Amino acid sequence: MTAFTIDFEPVGLRGKCRRNESLLACARRLGVGISSICGGQGTCHSCKVQILSGTVSKPTSNEPEVFTSQELKEGWRLACQTYPTSDCKLTVPPESMTTPQRVQVEGLEITVHPEPPVQAYRLQLAAPSLSAPRADADRLLQALNQQHQLHCGKVDINALRILSDQLRSWNWECQAVVRNDEVIALLPRPSHQLGLAIDLGTTKIAGYLVDLSNGRTLAAKGVMNPQISYGEDIISRITGVIQLPDEGVPVQKLAVEAINELSADLCAELGANTEEIVEAVVAGNTAMHHLFLGLPVRQLALSPFVPAVSRALDVKAGDLGLRIAPGAYVYLLPNIAGFVGADHVAMLLATEVLQAEGPIVALDIGTNTEVSLVNKEEVATVSCASGPAFEGGHIKNGMRAATGAIERLRIADDSIQYQTIGEAPPVGICGSGILDALSQLYLARIIDEGGRIVENHPRVHTYKGQREFVLVSKEERDGQPAITITQQDIRELQLAKAAIRTGIQVLLEANGCSEDEIKQVIIAGAFGTYIDVANAVAIGMLPSLPLNRFRQAGNAAGMGAKLALISLSKRAEAQAVASRVKYIELASAPNFEQTFIQAIYLGRYRIIDGRREEID
Amino acid sequence: MAGDLVSTLADLKEKEALGIVQDRLSAGDDPLSILDDARRALEIVGKRFADSEYFIPDLVYSGEILKGITDMVKPKLAKAAEVKRLGKVVMGTVAGDIHDIGKDIVVFMLDVSGYEVYDLGVDVPAQKFVEKIKESGAPIVGLSGFLALAFDSMKETVEAIKAAGLRDKVKVMIGGGQMSEEIRKYTGADAYGKDAMAGVTLAQKWVGAK
Repeated sequence: MTAFTIDFEPVGLRGKCRRNESLLACARRLGVGISSICGGQGTCHSCKVQILSGTVSKPTSNEPEVFTSQELKEGWRLACQTYPTSDCKLTVPPESMTTPQRVQVEGLEITVHPEPPVQAYRLQLAAPSLSAPRADADRLLQALNQQHQLHCGKVDINALRILSDQLRSWNWECQAVVRNDEVIALLPRPSHQLGLAIDLGTTKIAGYLVDLSNGRTLAAKGVMNPQISYGEDIISRITGVIQLPDEGVPVQKLAVEAINELSADLCAELGANTEEIVEAVVAGNTAMHHLFLGLPVRQLALSPFVPAVSRALDVKAGDLGLRIAPGAYVYLLPNIAGFVGADHVAMLLATEVLQAEGPIVALDIGTNTEVSLVNKEEVATVSCASGPAFEGGHIKNGMRAATGAIERLRIADDSIQYQTIGEAPPVGICGSGILDALSQLYLARIIDEGGRIVENHPRVHTYKGQREFVLVSKEERDGQPAITITQQDIRELQLAKAAIRTGIQVLLEANGCSEDEIKQVIIAGAFGTYIDVANAVAIGMLPSLPLNRFRQAGNAAGMGAKLALISLSKRAEAQAVASRVKYIELASAPNFEQTFIQAIYLGRYRIIDGRREEID
Repeated sequence: MAGDLVSTLADLKEKEALGIVQDRLSAGDDPLSILDDARRALEIVGKRFADSEYFIPDLVYSGEILKGITDMVKPKLAKAAEVKRLGKVVMGTVAGDIHDIGKDIVVFMLDVSGYEVYDLGVDVPAQKFVEKIKESGAPIVGLSGFLALAFDSMKETVEAIKAAGLRDKVKVMIGGGQMSEEIRKYTGADAYGKDAMAGVTLAQKWVGAK
């Protein structure tokens, strides 16, 4: 019996299911984060999935307790109790996902005509003899010319080092992988031609293994960026690095090693070899880009924040220590400015804003939030220091999006309803929950428009001279310390959301646009994907527009890296965008300070000439 | 009566505060005592800010109310009785750093506390500090910086002041971001302030000591 192919949506991940492997076990092996609290016993009911096509084993005795007969008919099953009996396509609903995976890889899939920078050519060489003792590499180049009318003049030195052995062990039959006029690797026949797209984030690294012949994503996985031990946010990372005696060398290696492991894991899922990866693309913010290449970062953190290089680069993977095909290149998407990097370019590429009728606002929310306004073929970008609050940093009970984090929150009268990641007992609050809390407290008039906690609610207490709102009390946590939102937390959140709103406002003013003209607001990035947009609007973090004008785009940077991986035209587009973008330094924009101060207020309003105009 | 203005202004009740000032001026009250009450109210605002009770917009608003009050009081002030300034302070965010919000808050607090502040803005080269100290004769210098990289600029600025022969004529305070005694030593400054109120307290100490 051959293994069945399982297609997990909406992450868009496909993989083989092994014999006697449940859907849950298969998902785990492939890195699809399906939540399972009971460990696959069929008792916790957290691994609900819906089978869209294909056949699976019959429902076990647990499942009719969980699903109605109608739901069972519609294909709803527990992943841990279900074994495929054919190729299957299934949907993993958000509530069944564990956050770490979903924030790292998920994004909207865009199809593009594959136009990869590398091509593989099948070759059959004549074995050399005493009468025809032509050198191996020359023989190869000649065969390329004769069999494929290709004039290649170069063979990569690392490819050259193993070429003679390869040709002999494959009996003079091979595929030559060619990039421009250079042979970068030899592969046996048959083999994959894989591409690796990397979204190199400050916190996380997402990797995608792509079939270069058709552009399909074959596997995806996310891991933490191990450089985090040198500093969590960009500025502290840079500061941590420049204080090292050999500036950045170990830090560069950390990122490379993480990517090496990631690509090995991704290849293992497909039963492929990392040497079959013949091209890689890396998109990261300017600091991650520089640290990955071993470029100096000191000048990035100091005014006027100048990158060492902005234009797109082709670098030999071997020079960076990446273990993929011997002569393969890593393509680095172009940067825009010191605080607006290739990841933002990738996001603009993936969201296709450049082809759309403007004005469109596209933002990627993180410790630094980059915002672009696209209008009449012009692109203007700012970077806002939104700080770590929305990633749980500087917040008393804040945490990253992991099991037990409160990710959704409602306040209705005196009761609080919340949802935690993995439906586990609450241990803290993550970005989307923090945003909900701010908005719900404001809407319930527990904090005023200035952000002050008002003493009018039984859950408001004073602790160590500071007011706080109790989300989960000590009693509700069986004696463990209460989870609260403090006055200081609210101040941090106000600064964070004001920075973002100010960025949007400055762009609108610089382009003479009014808020109402915005046709679409695209929110990318892990945090942006899971926020409740209505709550973000209610506190004035985002402009007060009809909700149907907002679009949450997932990991658009990763999607953009994938597009650049498979399409040379997309690379040209990226370079064109990056050189066309007008970068605006937020702090030096007119009205910056007045706008920022107004944007600290909560509520729905327009900002006109640094003044606030409330919207009912 | 006097308590009214202090608490009303501290609670940021603009209309009521201006009303009280109007009443007191009509009643022939001493304009200087009105300004003194306003200053005490702003001190409370500063404390509430330090306790997170008030926030940046509240500070700005209190400044606007104060301006309204001084506009009303000024015409009544005898020419000779110009508002007495406690001392001069040169302030700026050091070279390489462009964070201004923290620095602006300190400038504001010093201003409402009665100091004449020369705000040099952000990304200020060391030499500009030196020139302003010479020109103004200010005995206090405040160096602001958020980035850890700003510590080097602070050190360079203190050294430039020294090289210009001004080091024993001024007291230097640093603030912003993660300040500590270690950083103060590294930069060669005289003191560090953990928040805006600490900056005001330092200035008071130094001016009083003169």
